[in-house]
Amino acid sequence: MTGAIKLKIPHQSPYHGVALLVVGGLAARLDVSYEQLEDLQLALESVLENGGYARTSEVTVELDVQNEGLAMIVGPLDGAALKSDLEDEGDDRLGLGRLLGTLVEDVSVESREDGDWLRLEKRVQAIRSGGSRARA
Amino acid sequence: MPVHEEKTDRELLRSYHERGDLEARERLIEQYLPLVRSLARRYSYRGEQLEDLVQVGCIGLIKAIDRFDIARGVELTTYATPNIIGEIKRHFRDKGWSVRVPRGLQELNVRLSHLVEELTVQLERSPTIAELAKAASVEEEEVLEALESGQAYATLSLSAPGGGGDDGSDLDPLESLGELEHEYEVSEDRAVLAPGLRALDDRERRILHLRFFEGLTQSQIAQQVGISQMHVSRLIRRALEKIRDEIAAEETVKRRAS
Repeated sequence: MTGAIKLKIPHQSPYHGVALLVVGGLAARLDVSYEQLEDLQLALESVLENGGYARTSEVTVELDVQNEGLAMIVGPLDGAALKSDLEDEGDDRLGLGRLLGTLVEDVSVESREDGDWLRLEKRVQAIRSGGSRARA
Repeated sequence: MPVHEEKTDRELLRSYHERGDLEARERLIEQYLPLVRSLARRYSYRGEQLEDLVQVGCIGLIKAIDRFDIARGVELTTYATPNIIGEIKRHFRDKGWSVRVPRGLQELNVRLSHLVEELTVQLERSPTIAELAKAASVEEEEVLEALESGQAYATLSLSAPGGGGDDGSDLDPLESLGELEHEYEVSEDRAVLAPGLRALDDRERRILHLRFFEGLTQSQIAQQVGISQMHVSRLIRRALEKIRDEIAAEETVKRRAS
């Protein structure tokens, strides 16, 4: 299965759980493990819950299912704050870069007309060999 | 007033605590109002007026000022922040406005915690949602909902040291928020820690270190620390929100100072 799901929600904490639930639903259909789902949700939550990245009153979460993984694209965000936090890393510093670097395989910032979007990619493998409903 | 303009927080605290200078106390309250307002704003979405929450937060600020031990080498901000948040959360608890997770979901969440452990051992890997649903004899959507309710629980129980056990005995998210102030005594070395990490207790720091610096998985941490994987998950979420709160509070103070 390939394709994207787009979810536009108010950029407020009570609505962020909705996005996490959608990620969970998609992960269930991809047969990813509980631990991988935890990583995906924690990565997304870390970005959504940080009020410093909010650019507008609404935020969009795109979930793009690819052949070997899942991409979560979040925006529009305050690119300057985001890039600063992603780059501000030291040996003993637990910043956004280290956090996301642990939870997902690839982190990048995309520039779009309405601002900067954060792209998080995680390689996920269906545990049932060829049996995933999502791939059917 | 002009005299106070030049005084530092520590001087004002000393003036109040040693000489009973109430004007110094008032000055401190005024100075920290923006911090209270910033923290209150984080909880205003729960249906309570911001100004009401600011008033509640001020009670926490006043308690912090009154209880502050000037012999300790910590900043008032460090001590006041958890007190203010604790007072606001206690207010929600007392008003009965805490998020109540339906009993069925609470119980399923507890069952899932045990099933994650059992299936991880049995399968020698982390189970899928489908496998958890099958083992719990429920639909996958119910599993997701129960896991999500556990996350809401983790978010709300951030301030409860050691909270979030797996036995279902402490399912009220806001039950132990009053313990917040004790963190001050527990973490005397917080002032020398990196920004954000100062707000964490030893166990939270250890778990974050294992996860994000040592690269251990949640199940590996669970084995090493001797708690369940879902409890590790809750502690990680709690610690990360504490860090966000701490950093947000520090930024508020910096903005105020500039």
